[in-house]
Amino acid sequence: MAAPTRKAAIVGGNRIPFARSNSRYARASNQDMLTATLDGLVARFGLQDERLGEVAAGAVLKHARDFNLTRESVLGSRLAASTPAYDVQQACGTGLEAAILVANKIALGQLESGIAGGVDTTSDAPMAINEDMRRVLLAVNSAKTVQQRLKALAGIRPGQLLPEVPRNAEPRTGLSMGEHAAITAAEWEIGREEQDELAVASHRNLAAAYDRGFFDDLVTPYLGLARDQNLRPDSSPEKLATLQPVFGKGEGATMTAGNSTPLTDGASAVLLGSDEWAAAKGLPVLAHLVDAQTAAVDYVHGGEGLLMAPVHAVPVLLARNGLTLQDFDFYEVHEAFASTVLATLKAWEDPAYCKDTLGLDTPLGAIDRSKLNVNGSSLAAGHPFAATGGRIVATLAKLLHEAGPGKRGLISICAAGGQGVVAILES
Amino acid sequence: MAERTVLAEAPNLPALFGRAALSARGRGGDLPATRLARVGVPVDAAQAADYARVCGFPLTDTLPVTFPHLLAFPLQVALMADPAFPLALPGLVHVRNSISSIRPVRASAELDVEVWAERFAAHVRGATVDLCASVSTGGTEVWRGRSTYLARGATAPAGAPDADVTVDVVALDRTAAQWRVPADTGRRYAKVSGDVNPIHLSTLSAKAFGFKRAIAHGMWVQARALAALSGRLPEAADVDVAFRKPLFLPSTVTLGTEQVDGGWDLAVRNAGSGAEHLVGTVRPR
Repeated sequence: MAAPTRKAAIVGGNRIPFARSNSRYARASNQDMLTATLDGLVARFGLQDERLGEVAAGAVLKHARDFNLTRESVLGSRLAASTPAYDVQQACGTGLEAAILVANKIALGQLESGIAGGVDTTSDAPMAINEDMRRVLLAVNSAKTVQQRLKALAGIRPGQLLPEVPRNAEPRTGLSMGEHAAITAAEWEIGREEQDELAVASHRNLAAAYDRGFFDDLVTPYLGLARDQNLRPDSSPEKLATLQPVFGKGEGATMTAGNSTPLTDGASAVLLGSDEWAAAKGLPVLAHLVDAQTAAVDYVHGGEGLLMAPVHAVPVLLARNGLTLQDFDFYEVHEAFASTVLATLKAWEDPAYCKDTLGLDTPLGAIDRSKLNVNGSSLAAGHPFAATGGRIVATLAKLLHEAGPGKRGLISICAAGGQGVVAILES
Repeated sequence: MAERTVLAEAPNLPALFGRAALSARGRGGDLPATRLARVGVPVDAAQAADYARVCGFPLTDTLPVTFPHLLAFPLQVALMADPAFPLALPGLVHVRNSISSIRPVRASAELDVEVWAERFAAHVRGATVDLCASVSTGGTEVWRGRSTYLARGATAPAGAPDADVTVDVVALDRTAAQWRVPADTGRRYAKVSGDVNPIHLSTLSAKAFGFKRAIAHGMWVQARALAALSGRLPEAADVDVAFRKPLFLPSTVTLGTEQVDGGWDLAVRNAGSGAEHLVGTVRPR
């Protein structure tokens, strides 16, 4: 017999402002940022010395020595040292996946409370020694005699002294995420103007949200930064129109630094719990995590776009919950690139694509664009890969809470490796 | 009746390349009926691991579909280096390779390898010859290979058939992957394959044979392309590949793939010019 389940409550969130790469947080490690973010959450909800059920978090760019990144961050935080923790990694889906994992354990009654989070730095990124050098050193390490060791060391060549710098490229295709997105943008005929308009809306919405104090209880300043460093409140279509395309080739190239997310550093965390736990602690319930779904697509040999997996995940999630795409008060579609959001919406409106590729009798249809990313998204805030899920979950939960009971929001996040993570929140 | 010679160990390739170069002149006549063989050859596990890494195959207990070629190749070179072989080895160009993977070959298997030459054929630019290989284990043939080489300016014997070096593929417009092929690719593949043909090793040694830069081994390009389809290839398959323009090192190339008849069509092209380096087909058998 299946155990009765309950819906996990989202109590609140905290993040540090996101910084542009090699800037304010250049000296901060993943562990530094995650610890600071956890401590901010602890301070906000009075969790000092509290033993929580679990902390699940992760980073996309992670050094091997950070195998226990989340547990180490917990040990360095003001949470009780007896709070267990584990690392999660699902590329840009990491943060939302971590929230789903914690929420599911709460739903099953295995946890009463937990934190889900994510962190990433592209400034303090791990660098690996050259693969050939690594193999030489492994051989030296396993040598048993001096002669064997000398023989192994003789394999060193000057070229091997150059380190390997992580590239933002898909291992199987050798194409960067931007190049992949440019292919999808061309396939779906996503224009330059609409991309720039979406980017401007993201900046304006995020700036307005900061101005009205929306983030006062969601963001804790860090290293002198109080707002996301990438945010340009005065962004305009005219200014963005002057930028040269950076992804795609030739005349049809539409993707610029202005309508693509920049590399950023940052961390986020979300506090989840059962309704009973929140009530006992006197903590608010902003929303509940209703359901979630992942999907993956064959972007290597199958002809589907790298970032199109959420397009496949959402109809499955809607069907299981008896909902249509229009049954939502807010949509949070992660802005990896403006063109990604627009291709996602266009695909859901396309009868042929919905029938042939998604197997749907009728297309999901259009959404009310005034409900999309109303407080800005990754184009303005930046996108420290694993930190984006926590930013979105906390933002949407608060939005739903503000709007009153019974409101519903949809989260859609695309991830490297042709994956997508989507979820429904409800106040 | 073909004469079959069983060799106790693998021929020394650098020595064979040297001998073949020295005895290049004055060759002619028809193909020898000689068959060279080795029996009970164990697979060198370290070599198989190095090969998998250089070509991009996952390391498993089953050999990569192209790996048995490495066991046949030294015997084929020995056949071609022999003065009785009518064509000079230096300058031979690998233009086509077919593999029949009859069943997956376990890395732990002891293999019997036999090679021979056949199909001396007339080509517009010279003559072609096929170097064939059959690999068996426990008396059952598990793998067959056929490499077609072009000898530019050579003449096939009177009455020889026309060369067949074409492989047809569908339009492969979609880029499945883009690879930067580094300058040391030829040296890396030479190390794991033993194919130390100087045209692959460095600019200097390649220039000596009329190439502006070192060129990638065709068999590496083929292996790399098939490795990109790891997990998607039929267990028993016929692979047929034509080598077109040489792949100068270093280069950036694209791989195009399309599912066709339960298998794949593929092409490796220069990322800039679009020139085709390789086109091929994989079909279930």
